[in-house]
Amino acid sequence: MSTLHAKAAEAYQLKPEVVERHDKTFFGVREKRDRMAHALPEWEDLREAANQIKKHTVTHLADYLEQFEQAATSNGVHVHWAKDADDYNRIVLDILQQHGVKKVVKSKSMLTEECHLNQNLEQHGIDVVETDLGERILQMMKLAPSHIVMPALHVHREEIGDTFRRLIPDFDEIAKTYVAVGGSPADKNDPTFLTYVARMHLRQQFMEADCGMTGANFGIAETGDVVVCTNEGNADMSTSIPKLHIVSMGIEKIIPNYRAMGVFQRLLARCGTGQETTVYTSHFRGPRPGGEMHVVLVDNGRSSILGNEEHWQTLKCMRCGACMNTCPVYRRSAGYSYTYFIPGPIGINLGMLRNPVQYSDNVSACSLCCSCDNVCPVKVDLSTQVYRWRQQLDSLGKADKMKKAMSQGMGFLFGMPAAYKAALWMSPIVNWLPGMLLNSVLNPWAYGHRMMHFPKRSFHEIWSKELKHQR
Amino acid sequence: MKIGLFIPCYVDALYPEVGVSTYKLLTSLGLDVYYPEEQTCCGQPMGNAGFEQKAIPLAKKFDQQFRNFDYVVAPSASCAAYVRCFHPGMLKKEQCEAAGKTMDLVEFLHDVLKVTSLPARFPHKVSVHNSCHGVRELGLSSPSERNVPKYNKVIDLLKLVDGIEVVEPERPDECCGFGGMFAIEEQAVSRRMGIDKVKRHIATGAEYVTGPDSSCLMHMQGIAEKEHLPIRFIHIAQILTSNL
Amino acid sequence: MSNTRENVLSALRRNVREQYDMPDLDKLQPITFADPVAEFITKTTTTAGAKLLEMQPGEDIINKVREAYPDATSVASNLPGLIAANAPALSMHFVNPDTATVEELERIDVGVIEGKIGVAENACIWVPQQMKEKAVCFASQRLVIVLRRSDIVHNMHEAYDRIAASADYFQQYKFGTFISGPSKTADIESALVYGAQAARAVTVVLFDS
Repeated sequence: MSTLHAKAAEAYQLKPEVVERHDKTFFGVREKRDRMAHALPEWEDLREAANQIKKHTVTHLADYLEQFEQAATSNGVHVHWAKDADDYNRIVLDILQQHGVKKVVKSKSMLTEECHLNQNLEQHGIDVVETDLGERILQMMKLAPSHIVMPALHVHREEIGDTFRRLIPDFDEIAKTYVAVGGSPADKNDPTFLTYVARMHLRQQFMEADCGMTGANFGIAETGDVVVCTNEGNADMSTSIPKLHIVSMGIEKIIPNYRAMGVFQRLLARCGTGQETTVYTSHFRGPRPGGEMHVVLVDNGRSSILGNEEHWQTLKCMRCGACMNTCPVYRRSAGYSYTYFIPGPIGINLGMLRNPVQYSDNVSACSLCCSCDNVCPVKVDLSTQVYRWRQQLDSLGKADKMKKAMSQGMGFLFGMPAAYKAALWMSPIVNWLPGMLLNSVLNPWAYGHRMMHFPKRSFHEIWSKELKHQR
Repeated sequence: MKIGLFIPCYVDALYPEVGVSTYKLLTSLGLDVYYPEEQTCCGQPMGNAGFEQKAIPLAKKFDQQFRNFDYVVAPSASCAAYVRCFHPGMLKKEQCEAAGKTMDLVEFLHDVLKVTSLPARFPHKVSVHNSCHGVRELGLSSPSERNVPKYNKVIDLLKLVDGIEVVEPERPDECCGFGGMFAIEEQAVSRRMGIDKVKRHIATGAEYVTGPDSSCLMHMQGIAEKEHLPIRFIHIAQILTSNL
Repeated sequence: MSNTRENVLSALRRNVREQYDMPDLDKLQPITFADPVAEFITKTTTTAGAKLLEMQPGEDIINKVREAYPDATSVASNLPGLIAANAPALSMHFVNPDTATVEELERIDVGVIEGKIGVAENACIWVPQQMKEKAVCFASQRLVIVLRRSDIVHNMHEAYDRIAASADYFQQYKFGTFISGPSKTADIESALVYGAQAARAVTVVLFDS
């Protein structure tokens, strides 16, 4: 009995040292988050404030979006509305074609991945260059991201070095300048050296680009600010060199005002990467002198999620990644085991909201440990939502047959105390089953466990024959 | 105080000694304890597997069996948590009286009886297994993710035992990987999680792993035996009744 | 397109089930420090990975630039203490981001910019755009950020309150950023590297009024 996640995760276990490294890496980020949480006495109040601000904003979203649009427009920003991914891609392509854009540099945006922006632009002959180092590496290697914040940690330095040598035409010239600025790579794939190579390569891309595209961590309704947080400064480079700036923002990213912004700025990096802050927290309120700024507000299912009683709280999500870092299943199965482009607890839920039949394979990827609920800065009820999705699987035709049969069997047995007691009485027979039978694929428990020994007398029997009479 | 004893299905079948210890412990503390014999299961295995509908009749039956007691006590954090946290959503208000007074043994001893001494003696080093549902649904200990004052009811009780040495593993409340049907459906990851958890318990130098949940202990024991990892498993009820 | 706008807004209004109030943020008690300046200095020179110099009263900013980066080969700034009139004193290539092109600014070694608020909890410095080309803040290989000591606040709430209340920002140029140390990444095997796409090094220069 197996979902695609279970099968992929099983294959992933074949390299225990890879599993261990992945698990250690991301638990390390969880631990950094813990240190941040314990350093702020007001931590739990901050989370509760963030939760309530998001609940308020999301349930008054139409008003706040109107306020945002008005403020942004008054600052010279062009505001567009996209109903879905196709609409979004059309709008962006339109803007780019009107400006004769041949090359776009972009900073990280999960929304652009959700809408398959890159493929769409490339189909229309527009070069798209990811400028976040991890995303750029993956783009060059034609790999998908494995995590929403630290997407390339599963890739080894040797592979990155090989890729750079293969795909960056002036790799050798750049390498010479590294030595000239005092660098001396300990090994030819030293991360500091490779980061320098990427820096020089990306500098050229920034200078050649006609447009910079960013996502938005937050949109501030009161002022029309778009806020973008990065450690690398790539969103700022993308928007300081080319004069055209296009922001892609999911409508749920709106927050009311600067007071709210303080709460979220303080939570974002602490939760996502375990730092007090990202290096850059940039507020874009209007176009540059001689430039143009566009904001594309994207719905793509968000307005209907609002009406979903059990799952609307996913709209609070800030895409920080904390839930993945703490998830014991994500850490041991990694991003590629999931069938949705966002993995981990939030990915299971967002995937089901996107398409419950297509992405149901991820619903098995959860032991319901509830750790995610406790790290989420906005208190999305992640584990409860996974439990709820599980109840839906049967009616979607996606319930695992064996789980269904077992549940039906248990329902029958537990529903009839006489049958249950009889089963208990007979259970020691299991002890006498031949090992071959017990350890075969028919007994999934035997995959990882030595079979339990069934005691001669159940508690029921001990009570009715002894304890009851001793009272 | 009349106590209804709730013995989860797998404890009934596989670890009856945990039930016996629980009964003996509660009666030794002067309580009137009764075990309704028509009880079977709280419904959690079906609920977590996605068949909550099949668990509803069981939840109804549970309420009928237990509603007239002052407290319902179970030697299982996850089963008590399922009853308390999920039964109210599954039943109509009038059909749901027992859920609110259902408690795991540890929280009952700690919060209701406020036990301050026990005749128990267990001169061994034990590593505490902080089961997920105990920590995050029942509040048996402070979750490591939160910035809240640190506490651990399981350890508080164990410290009453003569001769015992109590330790916690690294990643003190990371999931062991049982998760009910999860262990069957995602067997590879479940096994990996179990091996990692058992190794962390062993690294403390403890002779035993103990905790409030036989399901976690059962999962880890099965893995430890198959992988030949040397550590033993015992439910906290048994430690607290040692010497009785 | 205005159709989409109406459809999205009406869907949001139609689909919302229960509405929730804004919490009272006055109840929040964010962290404060016994000595916020000391905290700022510590965070700046440790977690943010920047250097920090103190400017003495009457000292020339050019001195601090030289002290921060003795090997500097070119400077970009529109700070009064550094504009072209004083450029000969620097005896190196100098551009003004009010008049330079982004191509020129991208080749610059040291950018000297002004911070208006310092934040103790995370070493962030609020740098509002005060020049025509903000590329000076990001494309410069190294940065000097000048900050008045008395402009250091405890936490981000105070910083944002100041920005919201001020009439000074977002007027001529509609951009501002918080910068906390040099740009960095750990995208390759979690190895921390300074100098990702923006400044490789940052020196904060504190001065009194």
